[in-house]
Amino acid sequence: MSLLDFPSAKSEGWRWSDLSALPALAEAAQGAFDLQRLQLPWLDCSGPRLLFVNGSLNAPHSELGPLSIGPVATEASAHPLGRLVGREGWTLRLGPDGSAPGLIQIVHVSTGGADHLPAAIALAEDAQASIVETFVGEGWANRLTRIALGPHARLMLARRILSTGGFVSLTDRAALGEGASLVVTALAAGGSDTRFDGEIILNGEGGYAEAGGALLATDRGRHDANFVVRHAAPGGTSRQVWRSVADGRATCSVAARVEVARDAQKTDGEQSLKGLLLSRAATINAKPELEIFADDVKCAHGATVGALDQGALFYLASRGVPEAEAKALLTNAFVADAIDRIGEPQVRDAFGKDATSWLDGASPLAQAGEGL
Amino acid sequence: MLKIKNLHATVAGKPILKGLSLAANAGEVHAIMGPNGAGKSTLAYVLGGRPGYEVTEGSATLEGRDLLAMAPDERAAAGLFLGFQYPVEIPGVSNVQFLRTALNAQRRARGEAEISAGDFLRLTREQADALGMSMDMMKRNVNVGFSGGEKKRNEMVQMGIIDPRLAVLDETDSGLDIDALRVVAEGINRIMRRPDKAVILITHYQRLLDLVVPDFVHVLAEGRIVRSGGPELAHQLEREGYAEVAA
Repeated sequence: MSLLDFPSAKSEGWRWSDLSALPALAEAAQGAFDLQRLQLPWLDCSGPRLLFVNGSLNAPHSELGPLSIGPVATEASAHPLGRLVGREGWTLRLGPDGSAPGLIQIVHVSTGGADHLPAAIALAEDAQASIVETFVGEGWANRLTRIALGPHARLMLARRILSTGGFVSLTDRAALGEGASLVVTALAAGGSDTRFDGEIILNGEGGYAEAGGALLATDRGRHDANFVVRHAAPGGTSRQVWRSVADGRATCSVAARVEVARDAQKTDGEQSLKGLLLSRAATINAKPELEIFADDVKCAHGATVGALDQGALFYLASRGVPEAEAKALLTNAFVADAIDRIGEPQVRDAFGKDATSWLDGASPLAQAGEGL
Repeated sequence: MLKIKNLHATVAGKPILKGLSLAANAGEVHAIMGPNGAGKSTLAYVLGGRPGYEVTEGSATLEGRDLLAMAPDERAAAGLFLGFQYPVEIPGVSNVQFLRTALNAQRRARGEAEISAGDFLRLTREQADALGMSMDMMKRNVNVGFSGGEKKRNEMVQMGIIDPRLAVLDETDSGLDIDALRVVAEGINRIMRRPDKAVILITHYQRLLDLVVPDFVHVLAEGRIVRSGGPELAHQLEREGYAEVAA
């Protein structure tokens, strides 16, 4: 695998990405996996659990429930990273009115090298499921997830990236039937670089799609999210709410696109991309895009980038809150916009705690005033 | 309690305070009046330690401690409360969370134990009730969507919960209708009219001083106190105008 296999920054969709570390990451040797020492980030709730170590299922620590392991029925992907996944992966298939028993948790541990894994989620009419995937470790974890939601099916898919290093790339391809609902949320709060790619197509009337999350980066970290929601049928609603926080010399980039086909009248689309710069050397890129061919739609987009509000910092200080604590409070509040949207309380709480500990630890917020 | 001597301060390099001196003892309410641009708000911000307000000469002490050497949060922990003319909106942070964080930070700074959740909620309910604010409002984000009057009442709720030694209230009466003014004035009297506390009341108008009767009235013009007197001075200012009295 060489750099030539990957898209360069000259192609528009990859202009803010830096994939230069991937060949070396893929070549790196896998470290030993010591389950005894590793604290696995399971949330305290019942439901199926899947543990993947370097892309392979660890059966003793997994409880498949309605999920299956084996060849994943997906068509080939043209996506430069998505096409790398093999055939063996996990599948969740629920019949009409089916529901998964509790929250489905999938933990991906990467000890080095590259692991590629496909997945398929197919929910029939009125079926519903909630899935949280957590990434830990330090290799390159690459995933392609195909999602097909039947009429009125509902899926919540949340991703926590807590990896200490390496790279996590997630590519989602989703198609929604009439009145179906998909909520995809991501939190990047580790030391790895990330690339999120999503394409959500609302094929049925009155579909609902939400894609968003919080990208927290420090040092020279890079997070990069590219989502497009295609409204192909009338009466659909989509929300894209992203919050980026960049400290040190980090870069967070979000490109969010809404496409409304000519027949997709009464579409309601909203994008909110906000960035918070915690240091002068950090970078935030935000690119909201709308492409509308229907004439009776409501589409709003907003993008803002700025530093912490000095007036609010002084107000907090005047009430006795020390500067570092005030900065953490305001940064948390900024990120909460994206996290508070998560419906499942356990997942929302976990994301909130992850973000708080990132703010407490990884960011030099305690070095009051530096760089601001 | 508060001793300000020959205070000079600049904002963006421009001198605003030019040798201001003032002393307030415990148990006293001092009103500072003056025309626009006299330096009233600058005095409040300099005492609070707002970045960008630079002291070039003089001193200010609170109960013998050098205020100017402290960071803004340390001044608060030392007993100073700054009432804002334009209270700041903080999206994403509830009033309750804000106040509990502030109160506990002050307690930690003074080496006291943090307040329990139950005690804090009781205290908040009591102070909010006294100022006609519902607990629902206290659970909303700090000042977000509050009217001008609600923001000022919220300042008083904060003052009641924090229970400072010295309050410097910058135009707390601005933007208030008569009823709200009465509620806010009652708050100031109830919370701060005590033998061990002092208030610096910065205001344009006489009307607040009818409800919070000051012990001393000072006229601030061109960065200095140009005249001091009793409550009757405020009435004279109202009748004759600043230009006449300050001349």
